[in-house]
Amino acid sequence: MDIFLPISIKAPVNRAVETLVSRFGDSLHVVNDLLLQGGLLPIERLLRGTPAWLMLILIGLLAWHATRRLAHAAGIVAACYLIGCFGLWDLLMQTLALVLVSTALAVLIGLPTGILISQSRLARRLLLPVLDVMQTLPTFVYLIPAVMLFGLGKVPAILATVVYAVCPLIRLTELGIRQVDPEITEAAWSFGTTRWQLLVGVQLPLALPSIMAGLNQTVMMALAMVVIASMIGARGLGEDVLAGIQTLDVGKGLQAGIAIVLLAIVIDRITQAYGQSQRLQNMTRSRETGGHESR
Amino acid sequence: MSHRPALFAALLAATSFPLAAASHAAPSPWCQAGKPVKLAGLNWESGALLTELIKTVLEKGYGCQVELVPGNTVTLENALATNDIQVIAEEWVGRSDAWNKAAAEGKVKPVGKVIVGATEGWYVPDYVIKGDTKRGIKPAAPQLKTVAELPSYKQLFKDAEEPEKGRFLNCPTGWTCEGVNSQKLKAYKLDSYVNFRPGSGAALDAEISSSYQRGKPILFYYWSPTALMGKYKFIKLQEPAYNEACFKTLTDKDHASPCGSAAPEAVIQVGLSKALFDGDPALVGFLTRFNVPIDTLNNALAQMADNKTDAATQAKTFFANQGKLWRGWLPADVAAKVAK
Repeated sequence: MDIFLPISIKAPVNRAVETLVSRFGDSLHVVNDLLLQGGLLPIERLLRGTPAWLMLILIGLLAWHATRRLAHAAGIVAACYLIGCFGLWDLLMQTLALVLVSTALAVLIGLPTGILISQSRLARRLLLPVLDVMQTLPTFVYLIPAVMLFGLGKVPAILATVVYAVCPLIRLTELGIRQVDPEITEAAWSFGTTRWQLLVGVQLPLALPSIMAGLNQTVMMALAMVVIASMIGARGLGEDVLAGIQTLDVGKGLQAGIAIVLLAIVIDRITQAYGQSQRLQNMTRSRETGGHESR
Repeated sequence: MSHRPALFAALLAATSFPLAAASHAAPSPWCQAGKPVKLAGLNWESGALLTELIKTVLEKGYGCQVELVPGNTVTLENALATNDIQVIAEEWVGRSDAWNKAAAEGKVKPVGKVIVGATEGWYVPDYVIKGDTKRGIKPAAPQLKTVAELPSYKQLFKDAEEPEKGRFLNCPTGWTCEGVNSQKLKAYKLDSYVNFRPGSGAALDAEISSSYQRGKPILFYYWSPTALMGKYKFIKLQEPAYNEACFKTLTDKDHASPCGSAAPEAVIQVGLSKALFDGDPALVGFLTRFNVPIDTLNNALAQMADNKTDAATQAKTFFANQGKLWRGWLPADVAAKVAK
């Protein structure tokens, strides 16, 4: 009397994964090595090799450049210094490398995709459901197959992070471009711009605050994935959180957890400041040229 | 008024009848009091299956309410000491500080012999040493026998993230074996190897399976009873013979200069909280007799992995096919209820 038909995709999926592993596993492991040697490891070595004091100064300069406020910059440096005081500096640098590479990949993928779905209704219809899946599919479901294909460690962790974190960037890029005032676009058309000029010269600059907000969200979500990444052997702050939880060492877990929060605050303040200063510049520019202001 | 005594007698008969029947069936005082029996929801394969077997007997045979409480080893051992859970189905006695401390204080009691003949150690796939003519794999390290020789093979077990070192695949952080293996790396002077913790049991299994399917060399810690042990062929590397003093330096994860030792023969028992141990001779009696021969267990686990069934389903198959085995654990009337 069961009204449900017995449908199961378990067996075919399992078979497919096994075939994938035996057929493409070796070449994907080569990809894994290339990504490691060519991208992640040099960055990680650079970050870990830079003396901590120099790193703090650089972070301070970047923070000041972004916020233009001495107090904010000092706060940001103090937060990083505190992580160092916890004895987590090295882990912090490993996590930072992971987040930076994931974010860079997310931008490389997210920005063009966002532009594409802002321009084409068909692409939008096709890709938006895919984004929903990427954001909600439990990470472990594709993480373990990724481990079998790429090997344990940082590369599958980065891939999973990109899958999860790229979504807000795509959505907010699209939103930013679509929200550009149609009158401005029309004015640009009437001056005879090409589609490319319109995109690069008008739409993208005006969408920049929205894109920066997307980037900010992407970085935050990448940080949120750090603990999950450590469950497949990616080292960094997440590993300490995991070790803390698994050995009932609540203090250790919390300390590393706080370090992740501090890192999140630091990155958030800096990226937000860049987004805001861009917004201000936009407003002053449009005021100078007598153009539109936000209504 | 005149009906009263009759009614009373009827009531008495109604209440005393099930009591009499229950006493005949060796009742479990714990479960009759309506208290739930909380089992550790062990998440490794053999632990999960054994837990399901116990759960089935408790529910069907003794009419207990059973709850599974998930968690990792240390958390569950602490919970057992505080009687927050009552049973750990597969306890490797003496392997963890949390257990040893609680056992010394009498808060937890080991009973029975759940698994006899379990092994653990450092393994490589058989094709690394013997090759595999069927798959055209040449033996990459035909001379490799002991852990002491590992330094000269670090290029074979190369770590992708630190290519100048080898990779030893340890247990996930938080498992008792992770600390022991980390100390062993020190004891065997393997600083040319990365102590790689896979982060979770699933990731460890995925990495081993993937390497095995592709015929690649890999060095890892593993143990039986497990599905992978039943499915693939691994060769155990020799370690110095078990030595109690040395093994203590290995279990103490802060010991500065540990000395090498193989693991002692595994004593795997059911861990009980003191409250259940003292309060329920019926369940203790069953758990003392509870044992699954290791070959039967390895086969069941391999079946579980091949058919991708969960522990609960496999437990049903077990009760359907292994009647002779499990009837030996139980009084006849309890067994009859389980068989229903």
